[in-house]
Amino acid sequence: MYGCAQRRDSGNLMNWRTMKSLGIGALIVTTAMAGTLVAENHKEYRFNVGPKAGLSVNNPYGSISVKPSTGNTVLINAILHSDKVEVDNNQAGNRVEVQSHLLPGADPETGRVDYEIFAPADASITLHSSTGTLRAEKLHGDVTLEGAGATVDVHDISNAHVHVKTLNGAVTLSNVQEGHVEVDSLSGVVTLDHVTGPLVQVISTSGAINYAGDFGDGGEYRLTSHSGDIEAIVPDNTSADVSASSVKGEVRDDIPLQPKTHSWFDVQAGRTFMGTMGRAAVSSTVVLRSFSGKIHLRKRTAK
Amino acid sequence: MTCVELQESLAGIDEGGTAEQQAHLKSCPECSALVKELLLIASSATELRESDEPSPRVWNSIEIALRREGLIHPPHADQSLLRNLDRPWSAKGWFWGRWLVPATAVLLLALSIRILHEKQMRQVESNSVPTTSSAIVSDSVIAGLNDDDLLQEIASQSPATQAQYAENLRHANQYIQDAKSIADANPYDEEARRTLFEAYQQKAMLFELAMDRSLP
Repeated sequence: MYGCAQRRDSGNLMNWRTMKSLGIGALIVTTAMAGTLVAENHKEYRFNVGPKAGLSVNNPYGSISVKPSTGNTVLINAILHSDKVEVDNNQAGNRVEVQSHLLPGADPETGRVDYEIFAPADASITLHSSTGTLRAEKLHGDVTLEGAGATVDVHDISNAHVHVKTLNGAVTLSNVQEGHVEVDSLSGVVTLDHVTGPLVQVISTSGAINYAGDFGDGGEYRLTSHSGDIEAIVPDNTSADVSASSVKGEVRDDIPLQPKTHSWFDVQAGRTFMGTMGRAAVSSTVVLRSFSGKIHLRKRTAK
Repeated sequence: MTCVELQESLAGIDEGGTAEQQAHLKSCPECSALVKELLLIASSATELRESDEPSPRVWNSIEIALRREGLIHPPHADQSLLRNLDRPWSAKGWFWGRWLVPATAVLLLALSIRILHEKQMRQVESNSVPTTSSAIVSDSVIAGLNDDDLLQEIASQSPATQAQYAENLRHANQYIQDAKSIADANPYDEEARRTLFEAYQQKAMLFELAMDRSLP
C-alpha cells in the first residue's frame, strides 16, 4: 500500500511538476511569440503593370522569392524583422523598384526583410541580396540574381536570360529550357539540372560544377573552374561535341567518344579528351576546363 | 622606345615621364592619344573620389532620365554604378558608394590597358622579343587598387567576413597567375586568352560584390 501510495504521491508530484514545467514553457513560448509578433512587421504592396514589366529588388539582408502571378499585377509580401528597416518602393512606368532601407543601428538580424513576390511570368526580374536566399521559379522573363553570400535557386524557367553572380553561395538551376545562362561564382557549388539553351556558361574560381542533362540541341556549354571539380552526367541520347582539359587535374571519360579527325589542342591521356557522342548533326558544343580540378564525364545510370 | 615598351612603363607617366617616354610620345600620335585619355580618366577618378557627393536625389534623377532615354535597360539597371550611390540611410553605404566609382573605373582601366597591351603585343610580335609574365605591366599599380586596401575596409566594416574574402582573393589571384602562365606559354591560343579574361572577371566580380555590401 505504501508503495502504491508513494507511487501515487510521486505520480502527483510528477504531474504537478510536469504541469508547472508546461505552464512555464507555454508562458515562455507565448512571450517569445508575442515578442516576435511585435518585432516582425508584415507589409503588402500591389502594383499594376503592363506586359514585360521590370522588377528590381535590392535587399541587403534576407530572402527574396519570385513566383508567377495571375494577370498583370506585382504583389509583394514583405516581412520586416524589426523597426530598423523599412521598405521603399517606387513604380516608374512599367518598372517596379523595391529597396530595403536600413536605418541606423541595423544589423544582419534586425535589418532583415524576407520577400515573397508574385510577378507576371514575362517580367524581367533583378534580385539582389548579400546574405539571403534568392529564388525564381516558373518565369519566362529575364532573371538576374546577385549577392555575395546569397544562395540561389532558379527552376522552371524558359526562353529567358538567366544571369547569376555570387561569391560563396550555392547556385542551383533546374529545368531551365532555351535559356541564355551565365553563372559566375567564386567558391560556391554550382549545380545545373536539366539546363539547356543556346548558351550555358559557368565560370568559377574554386567551386565545383555539376551538370546533369543532355546538353540540348546545338547550344554552347562552357563549364570552367580554376580549382573546382567538374562533373557532367548525361543520358544515353545525348549528342555533343565534347572537349575537356585540366592542366593539373585528372580527366575521366566513361563514355566512348568518336574521336575528332582534327583537334584544336593536344590530347594528352588523363589530362584531356575530345570527341563526339550521339548524332553529330545536332550536337551541342561542350567545353569543360579546369586548371587543377578533376573533370568527369559519365553516363546517367538507371535508378 | 617602342609602343610596347612605353605601355610597359605607363605606371609612372603621370609624373611627367622620362625623356625617352616624352620623345616617343612626341613621335607617336597613337600612344600620345592613349596617354592623354588615360590621364584624363585617372584624374577624373581622383576627382570623383575626393569630391563631395551630390544628393542621392540627383543620382536617382539621372538614373530615371537614363532609363527613360533607353540608355540603361531595366534588367541591368540595378547593376549600374549608380545603384550604390542612392543609399542615404547608411553612412558606410556612402563610403562604399564613394569608393565604388573610382575603384571600378580604375579596375576597368587596368583591364582595358591589359587587353590593349596584349593586342599590340600580338601585332608587333613578329619583330619583337617574346614577353614573359614579369614583363607585363603591373595591373595593381595602374589600377591603384590592391587587395590589402579591400581587406582593410572589409575588416573595418565586416570583420566576420574578412577571412572568407582573404581566401577568395587568394584563389582569384592564383587563378589569374595560372591563367597568365598558360597565356604566356600559348600566345596564339584563343582559349588561353579567354581563360585569362575570365580570371580577371572573377576578381572584378569579387571587388564588385565586396564593395556592394550595403552594411549598416
